[in-house]
Amino acid sequence: MIWLVFAFLTAAAAMSVLAPLARAGRRTGGLSRRDADLDFYNAELAGIARDLERNLISPADAESAKAEAARRLIGGADPQAKAPEAGSRVARSVAALASIVVLGAVGLGLYGYLGQPAFPDQPLMARKTAPPDRMDMMAAVAKIEAHLERNPDDGQGRDIIAPVYMRLGRYTDAADAWGHAIRILGSTPQRETWRGEALTMAAQGKVTPDALAAFQRALALEPSAPQARFYVGLAAEQDADAPRAIDVWSKLLADYPPDAPWAEMVRQRLTALGAAPAAQPGPASPAGEAIAAMPGAERDAAIRAMVDGLAARLAQNGGDEEGWLRLVRAYSVLKEPAKAQAALADARRELAQTPAALDRLDALARELGLGS
Amino acid sequence: MIVETGHYALVLAFALALVQGTIPLWGSLAGDRALMAVAAPASIMQFLLTALSFGALTYAYVVSDFSLVNVVENSHSLKPLVYKISGVWGNHEGSMLLWVLILALFGALVALRARRMPDDLAASVLAVQAWISGAFLLFILLTSNPFARIATPPMEGRDLNPILQDPGLAIHPPLLYLGYVGFSITFSFAAAALINGRIDAQWARWVRPWTLIAWMFLTIGIAMGSYWAYYTLGWGGFWFWDPVENASLMPWLAGTALLHSALVMEKRDALKVWTIFLAILAFSLSLLGTFLVRSGVLTSVHSFASDPRRGVFILAILVFFIGGSLALFALRASTLKQGGIFAPVSREGALVLNNLLLTSSCATVFIGTLYPLALEALTDAKISVGPPFFNFTVGLLFLPIFLFMPLGQMLAWKRGRLLGAAQRLTFAVAIALVAGLFLAAANGEPAGAAALAGLAMFVIVGAFVDVAGRVTGGGFSLALMARRAAGLPLSAYGTALAHAGMGLTLFGIAATGWGVERVISMRAGDTAALGPFTVTLDDLSQRQGPNYRETVGAMTLRSDGVEIGRVNPSRKFYTSRQMTTTDAGLKTISLGQVHIVMPEQNPDGSVDVRMYWKPYVALIWLGALLMFLGGGVSLADRRLRIGVAKRAQPRVRGPAPLPAE
Amino acid sequence: MTRKQRRLTLILSALAVIGVALGLVLYAMRDNIVFFYTPGEIVAKDVKPGTRLRLGGLVKEGSVEKGADRSVLFTVADAQSEMRVRYSGVLPDLFREGQGVVAEGVFEGAKAFRADTVLAKHDETYMPREVADSLKKQGHWQPGGPPAAPAAK
Repeated sequence: MIWLVFAFLTAAAAMSVLAPLARAGRRTGGLSRRDADLDFYNAELAGIARDLERNLISPADAESAKAEAARRLIGGADPQAKAPEAGSRVARSVAALASIVVLGAVGLGLYGYLGQPAFPDQPLMARKTAPPDRMDMMAAVAKIEAHLERNPDDGQGRDIIAPVYMRLGRYTDAADAWGHAIRILGSTPQRETWRGEALTMAAQGKVTPDALAAFQRALALEPSAPQARFYVGLAAEQDADAPRAIDVWSKLLADYPPDAPWAEMVRQRLTALGAAPAAQPGPASPAGEAIAAMPGAERDAAIRAMVDGLAARLAQNGGDEEGWLRLVRAYSVLKEPAKAQAALADARRELAQTPAALDRLDALARELGLGS
Repeated sequence: MIVETGHYALVLAFALALVQGTIPLWGSLAGDRALMAVAAPASIMQFLLTALSFGALTYAYVVSDFSLVNVVENSHSLKPLVYKISGVWGNHEGSMLLWVLILALFGALVALRARRMPDDLAASVLAVQAWISGAFLLFILLTSNPFARIATPPMEGRDLNPILQDPGLAIHPPLLYLGYVGFSITFSFAAAALINGRIDAQWARWVRPWTLIAWMFLTIGIAMGSYWAYYTLGWGGFWFWDPVENASLMPWLAGTALLHSALVMEKRDALKVWTIFLAILAFSLSLLGTFLVRSGVLTSVHSFASDPRRGVFILAILVFFIGGSLALFALRASTLKQGGIFAPVSREGALVLNNLLLTSSCATVFIGTLYPLALEALTDAKISVGPPFFNFTVGLLFLPIFLFMPLGQMLAWKRGRLLGAAQRLTFAVAIALVAGLFLAAANGEPAGAAALAGLAMFVIVGAFVDVAGRVTGGGFSLALMARRAAGLPLSAYGTALAHAGMGLTLFGIAATGWGVERVISMRAGDTAALGPFTVTLDDLSQRQGPNYRETVGAMTLRSDGVEIGRVNPSRKFYTSRQMTTTDAGLKTISLGQVHIVMPEQNPDGSVDVRMYWKPYVALIWLGALLMFLGGGVSLADRRLRIGVAKRAQPRVRGPAPLPAE
Repeated sequence: MTRKQRRLTLILSALAVIGVALGLVLYAMRDNIVFFYTPGEIVAKDVKPGTRLRLGGLVKEGSVEKGADRSVLFTVADAQSEMRVRYSGVLPDLFREGQGVVAEGVFEGAKAFRADTVLAKHDETYMPREVADSLKKQGHWQPGGPPAAPAAK
């Protein structure tokens, strides 16, 4: 069907060229130079007469202007210029043939390279059998907000809505909500940490003094909390206190198994600070140990196999946010920016409905210098 | 299927441009009428294909087809329909598609008029136009394809940026582009004249209506952009000498010069080389503007260097067309027959002065805009050339333009009498003096504002002196005057209107000198004086919007204790973007405006309020509107139509709008 | 007038206008061009006190002090140095601690700067061009955005 439409368009385009050629230049209205010159001369004379009538020009000047116009009429007619003719048959055939070839070859060739003819339109209405989750979420948020307005002391409600705010990217609101929850239900390491994280996100990744205080409160309650420790390190890094950041993060790595979901990132940041994550103990998982024991080339291959496994899994099930972040980072570490870019693009597509995930992807892309 | 059809139509338009760019040109050089005849139908087809493509993209936006990357990135299913449509050209890819659509539109319009033009001229013009279209189509297809697809489309688009949802922003680019791109046709005419080797008074007559159309739309486009900046950006200015603004001002200055020099070329067969050069220049500056805006050099010289694909492509287009046309120019300029020489005191002489001043202003803007970029690229030193530079240089160069504008209108062709012209302006001078003195007395300092406003009055009244003189020339009987008025050519009215529009704009700019600005802290219930008015902050309220919190001030304006209006400036805080925007409260009082913004909320509950009273400010844009109308009136003048329609025409078409005086 | 004289008049008047325009440009360039520096560059280039310039950098966290009558004090910093800026007036919407800023005014010597204009644009991703370039060169600034947080879900 679409090819029929394409064929029709191509034929129409070709006709616009072939029809005038086929008419063989029978005059269809355009002027010859001679006619145009004459018309122009007449118009000039009329103009001069009008100017004279309106006293824009003196009678003597009008006469000289008329003479000038006449001189131009005669001078303009180039004696060597031949009047355009219908031209030769050969020229016409060559032109016709060349246009058909160009229209066909360039049109189909370039479109074949750029286009996806089999890709149907995807209007949103047709794809939407049910209203998307996002709308439901908005409605839910509005409902909880209304409820909280009536019952400002409902700490549970704050606990529920805060992560939703985070997903929607409303970080300040999230921080507020956790602040209320802490006031009403009491401080827990998790709430403090989340509040600190929300404040940090709200400040575009800067660990503000408020946020730092929240993390420190969390650590006072639970000294091992990994997330809070990470941010304390980040605060140190942002204060240009690299030694302290290195210290905090190295200890963090040492306290947890190296395959903790965040470990790779902490190692990255350590490397960026110029500190080899030396404090890191050997890989603790059996697979990790095996890989660490391999010689260089084999180890690379094994790592690659794992990364490929991850990629395959994500291709099946694209909703795994952490998986995507890991994959992009892994490719970047393996110095395969093209694959990292591709993975990033795939991830953006898969996670397009989760704004928070997209934000994280953007942040990661910027961190790794992948551009977007 | 619609989407892919649009994509294919775009590719086909490119292929057709290749054909249209070569066959008619070949025909025109070989004197073969059959080959030349291809130009017009191909141009019309070219437009239809581009329009189909643009329509397909618009369709994708309207139905939120998120299988297009472009739609995902620049639309959202919850946007109102109008903004879904305006979203089509609210981004790089779509705006370039609009660019070629307008390019093709002008080509098609010329094609429709081709019957009235010499064959070889029409063929060459349309061929050159096809080259330009082809270059930009290739640019779109290879670097900025709006039809790129995503295999697994997301359910929602990314852009719901509320700031961009604004009627001004929605219609401003198409108008501006009509002007910008309109100069492509004058460029094509110039290149065609150089190719065919016929550069004469007649050429000027063909090119003038197109110059006028482009100029009209560029004028109104610039004015709309300026008004948009005025009411959204919240600090009350109407022109910032921003590089993007300058990019549209430069072609306007060159185009205005072209409009006037083409007149001399048509009437007197003089200034030929210069007029051709201006035609090339106006479009080159449009291209330069496109390059500046689209390549990203303005955002950062370094970011341009890191992702140069688009920038380099446009630069290549720029170099090819400017270089190519200048090379042709150099080749042909020597063979040009010397045109008429004329007395300094004459209509021609005045128009030459106009051209010198306009192009000098254009050069000044050019230097001020590009010098910082060049300096940074060469030496890494960063400087800013700010409004003071432009106000000073362009301001001083425009003063004589305004002074001589009415005078030039009075002078006769060939040989004018300065004294006679000046005498006829006595009335205008008198009015200007009285108005200036009156305004100075009424508004006080600064004296410069009154002087400029007086000059503006001189321009406005002077613009009509000629017309008035001709209407009353036969005596003051009503019937006679009406007859004479009806007998005047429309272009005389058009000129008067456009020049008066310039005067109005100048008046509006002059009156900014009397503007009042106050920044104060206010609490609910406070009253403050603002120029001749008082402003009372009645109430401050909080509102929760869908994705923002808003503080709205309810204010009452009073003059001598009598309420004359209410304004509601507001301040929105978008929670998800952590972004604050201020919406100005505007109240138009006769021709002036009260402009109030609340930029800050203080911890003690008061708000900072920035208030402006800008008398006559609306005249700045009304003047531009009048210029647009004046251009339209001139364009409607049929008087100068070459009389072929009556003769040798197989089918008689509607009368051709041909140009102005 | 003869043809030759007329042509001469034309050429002379053209030269006169162009000359005037050039003069205006040069004169205005001398007075109205403002150089852009970061605090570090002011120190490095030994800028004289009293010079008018544009100062760009990041607004240092916690450095903004608001006084009476909309007077504001804040610190603009780059990797090498910082500068205390005095300003009286309304700050633009996008003025925020930790973000880029450009202030135009007079360098008063000894790390003090009196600004008469503070610039920002209506665009949430806008970083004044000069600031971004300078800071990038110093390796100080990474485009904003939260770092990927360790997931503890």
